[in-house]
Order: sequence, then C-alpha cells, then structure tokens
Amino acid sequence: MSALPKLSKEQIQKVILSGMGFCLLIYIYFTFFLGPLNRSRTAMERRMADLQNKLRNSKTELRRASSLEVTAGDATSRYAAMEGLTPEGAPIAWFPPRIKTFFGEQKIDKAVVRLDRNADLKEPELSDWTRYSWLITLPEADFAAFGKAIAALENAEPLLWIERLTIHAQPDQLQFQQVDLVAANIVKKK
Amino acid sequence: MALQINLLHEEFTQERQRKRDPLKLGMMALGAVGGVMLLFYGGKAYQTLSLKNRLSGVEQEWAKVEPQVTKAQKRAQELQGIITASNVLDQLVENRFFWAPVLQTVAGCVAPNIQLTNFDGTLSEDKLVRIALEGTAAGTEPRAAAEEFRQLLSEKVGEGYSQVDVQFKSLEDLDAPVMLAETSVPVARYSILISLRPRGEETPATKAQNEASEKK
Repeated sequence: MSALPKLSKEQIQKVILSGMGFCLLIYIYFTFFLGPLNRSRTAMERRMADLQNKLRNSKTELRRASSLEVTAGDATSRYAAMEGLTPEGAPIAWFPPRIKTFFGEQKIDKAVVRLDRNADLKEPELSDWTRYSWLITLPEADFAAFGKAIAALENAEPLLWIERLTIHAQPDQLQFQQVDLVAANIVKKK
Repeated sequence: MALQINLLHEEFTQERQRKRDPLKLGMMALGAVGGVMLLFYGGKAYQTLSLKNRLSGVEQEWAKVEPQVTKAQKRAQELQGIITASNVLDQLVENRFFWAPVLQTVAGCVAPNIQLTNFDGTLSEDKLVRIALEGTAAGTEPRAAAEEFRQLLSEKVGEGYSQVDVQFKSLEDLDAPVMLAETSVPVARYSILISLRPRGEETPATKAQNEASEKK
C-alpha cells in the first residue's frame, strides 16, 4: 500500500484554491447560466400549456356562442319586444299620458295617474329594469265599461299588473263608480 | 555495472513537480467540467430556443383567435343575460293576476236584489288576493238574499280559483226599506271578505291536498 505523496504547504494552498475555483464555477454555472435558462424554459412551458389550453377552449367557446346565438333567437326577440314597451324618456313623462289615452279610448275620461314610487326589482336578472308603482284614479267609470277596459289593459300591457283595485259607488252620481288602482309597471332603465 | 550519475536530478524533480502541480491539475479538471457544463448548457439552450419558436407560433395563433373568442364570450354572456332576463320577465308576465275575470265573476253573481257599493281588492306579494265587498241585499228575507249571494260567490269564484274562502265580515239589517219591483222590502247591509289564489299559486299543503283529492 503506497502512501499518498506528502503535499507541501504550497501544494495544499493550490489544492484549496482549485477547490474554491471549482465551487465558484458550479455556483456561477447554476446561478447565472443554467438556473435562469431553466426558469425561462419552465415559464415558457407553462405559457405554452396555458395558450394551448386556451386555444382548445376557444374552439368550444366559439361553438357554444354560435349555438347559443341560434337557441337564443326566440328569447332575444321576446326581450326586444319587451324592451320596446319602454319608450324613450322618463316614465313619468310617458306613462300617465299613455294610460289616460288608453282609458279615454275605453270611454273612461278624467283619469288621473300619479307616480307612487319606484324601486329596483328583487330579481338580480332584471337589474336593468325598474319597477314603478302608479296610483290611477278614474272618477267617472262605469262598472261594465271599466271591466272591459281592465281586461284590455291587462292584455295590452304585459309588463303591468294591478296590485290594488277599489271601486266605490258614488252616491251623487249613481251611473258612475270611482275606481282607484295601484298598478305596478316594469320599465327598462334607459 | 557502470555507475550512472544523474546530474539533472533537480531538473527532473522540478519537471515532476510541475506535472503534479495541483493548481494545474485543478485547472485542467475545471476546464473539463466547464466544457461538459457548456455542452449541457448548449443543449438546454437549444431546447429552450426551439420551445421559444414554438411558443411564438402558438402566440401568433392565439393573437388571431383571441379577439374572436373575446367577442364570442362577450356575446354569449350577453345572450345568457338576455335569456335569463327574458325567462324571468316571462314568468312575471305569465304569473300576473288578472282582475277582469274576477270582476266578471262578481258582476255575474249580483242578482237584481243585491247592490254592490264597494269593491276593494288587494293582491299580496305571495299571490293571495283579498277582496272586500260591501253592499246591500233587499228582499223579504234580506239576510237570506245576502247569504245566497255569498254562496253563489263562493261557488262561482271557486270554479276559477283555488283556496277560495268567502265569509261575511258583517251582516246587519237596515231600518229603512227600499222599493224593489214596486214593493217595499227590508234591506240588510253586508260586508263580505273573499280570499283566493290563482290556480298554480297554491301553497304546498293545498297543492298536496288537491292532488290527493284528484287521485280519489
């Protein structure tokens, strides 16, 4: 068994220096070369996977949108029709004249329409719509004519419903009844 | 055997020491390891570059598709909103309570000896309709006429609505008689309360009861 040659002090210093150089090389290699390269590569792989996933999903999205476009045709036209029931301008400007005209056409004159209150609807799907509550007074209504008018109103205004209906006989005008209505109407926010 | 004298002994020793110099050997080892590392790095760099090229291609493809997808997603969201809003609106429209049929039913129950002076109907949030009727009933038996009116109302209203309840709130005789068919007859003042629900808006308990009675 041969013993290792005995190193001189100078040689030991050189061995230590070489070892330090080797450690420095390893450190520099992993910290400044291979590390950043691997990080960049990993980031690119992740981005690639993400984009490929997005591309795959995009095809599904496009198909879904086009099929939805077909199936939503009926709902879209219904919605547009309901939107069309709300004219431009503030409801206080167009609703009372509309109702007065309507009852006038039904031979019920002197209709008075006042806004009671308005509030957002409870349904979150109808966040673009507002509910208006109106007080409608018909001081000179004939019961039979009023019944027909109410039927016509309920058919003509799908977004309107009557919450309270009061009919009083008038002692001084026996041929007429006074009618008070509380009607709610849904109006598209514009 | 001839005697050999090595006069270059020191030079040989120095040469040997130079060859065994740890620093030199270390530098060579470092160079070799560095070379291997460089090769490995080169390979990795090449792979990264090719990945970058592929990524660039995919990015270009995505750049073309993305506006379409965003547009489609936005449109799909919009359509989904329209569909749900339209369905909710449809429900609101279809679940409305119509007063005209009630008025028609009440008017159809009013006999010539019955007078209706007040009609007060209220629709509550849970679709329960309460109607208060006030008026007078005339006849030889005005209370019986009023009761007949109440029963007729109960029967006729019950034909079109569910959970119908028709009850007298008050029924009292009046002192002053009225002329009916040229005959003076006594009069009673009635107050009737009607409660009803549109069909399909019954409470779960009533629904179960109705279904059970239908099965029988």
